[in-house]
Amino acid sequence: MFVLGFHFPASMGNNVPDELVAEKIADVDISDVNEIKLLMGTKDKDKVWLSYTNKDTFLFRAMVHYFKEENPDRAQKYMIYMNRYQMSELSKRLDAADDETMKLCHNLDSMEQFRIEVA
Amino acid sequence: MAGAASLRQIAFYGKGGIGKSTTSQNTLAAMAHYFDKNIMIVGCDPKADSTRLILHEKAQDTILSLAAEYGTIEDVEMEQARLWGKGLFDKETPGGWINCTESGGPEPGVGCAGRGVITAINFLEEEGAYDEEGLDFVSYDVLGDVVCGGFAMPIREGKAQEIYIVMSGEMMAMYAANNISKGILKYANTGGVRLAGLVCNARMTDREYDLAKELATRIGTQLIHFVPRNNIVQHAELRRMTVVEYSPYSDQAREYKELARKIVYNDMKIIPTPISMDELEDLLLEFGLEDEVDESQVGKAAHEA
Repeated sequence: MFVLGFHFPASMGNNVPDELVAEKIADVDISDVNEIKLLMGTKDKDKVWLSYTNKDTFLFRAMVHYFKEENPDRAQKYMIYMNRYQMSELSKRLDAADDETMKLCHNLDSMEQFRIEVA
Repeated sequence: MAGAASLRQIAFYGKGGIGKSTTSQNTLAAMAHYFDKNIMIVGCDPKADSTRLILHEKAQDTILSLAAEYGTIEDVEMEQARLWGKGLFDKETPGGWINCTESGGPEPGVGCAGRGVITAINFLEEEGAYDEEGLDFVSYDVLGDVVCGGFAMPIREGKAQEIYIVMSGEMMAMYAANNISKGILKYANTGGVRLAGLVCNARMTDREYDLAKELATRIGTQLIHFVPRNNIVQHAELRRMTVVEYSPYSDQAREYKELARKIVYNDMKIIPTPISMDELEDLLLEFGLEDEVDESQVGKAAHEA
């Protein structure tokens, strides 16, 4: 089973507990990131920049982890659809109390393409 | 069974027209190019379109057509029936290689596709194709019709052990995925075949990820990857190429690379638990894709209801 690209052994079945996924990204360094910038839209449509600064959430940590992975030059990165759908799915359970995050999850659930940068 | 102990034999199943051949070739291309895997494709569909993107050809000669031309399968040479991939996938090119075969089959409406598949598998086995040095994966691209004799042949012959079902969030594709899992279940208890995951070849319909994931969960498997729709796939196909070769740094190539990585490292292979038709319809209702319809409205056009 793969969640956010992480492999969880088959013995865990197809319902991996959220806490185990959160543990995988617990050690990611977010101290050098104050803002996540998401470019939403496809080349044929108007694109929109979204800003996300709530560092106390699972979603922020998951996005920083995704951005930094295999990206030493910190270049803008395409977001794999499955990964961001899963980020949204988990965030809706783990960050449910945060309105700003829920609003972003609503955007992440769309069919639009996303690119990620950090500042 | 022929082949090294580490050889993995996978198969792509799914509703006709869902994009099995396109998805399988692009994914196998990514497995060869990014993960150095050596692969043999066994096209098991009379359409013989399982290898064209790897070979940059319209269609290769099928094993059955060669047998017909020579009068007997015994006179067919391996070099005629099995072709090495072009470009990135050639044996001489660095990275993994892909070689290609097509079983072929009868003209539409005549004969049994299953015969072609079994003839091809026997031929390849006798000619040592499964013993090729360095071979990591054999991939069967199987025709979509679950009631056709060709459907189960790679499973019944003890070949395909690891099944990936290509589907989408459309009702008939989900219906077919569930039906195919019933077919797998039939053979899972007597053989080693297992369902290894659903691949959503997205049509970009409403809540498609949620639906595909829920179906996967209900039948006991995983949604291994959600492949978004992207016109670059069609652009590459016009040049008879996979996206991996046509545009290796494109967004879509990254999607196929991720799917390839997951298949390479996948260890979740299960006996499926198919759901009933009623449960499937309830699933669509639950995700708000169908308005609840009372019996008096069944069969009525939109302007009548």
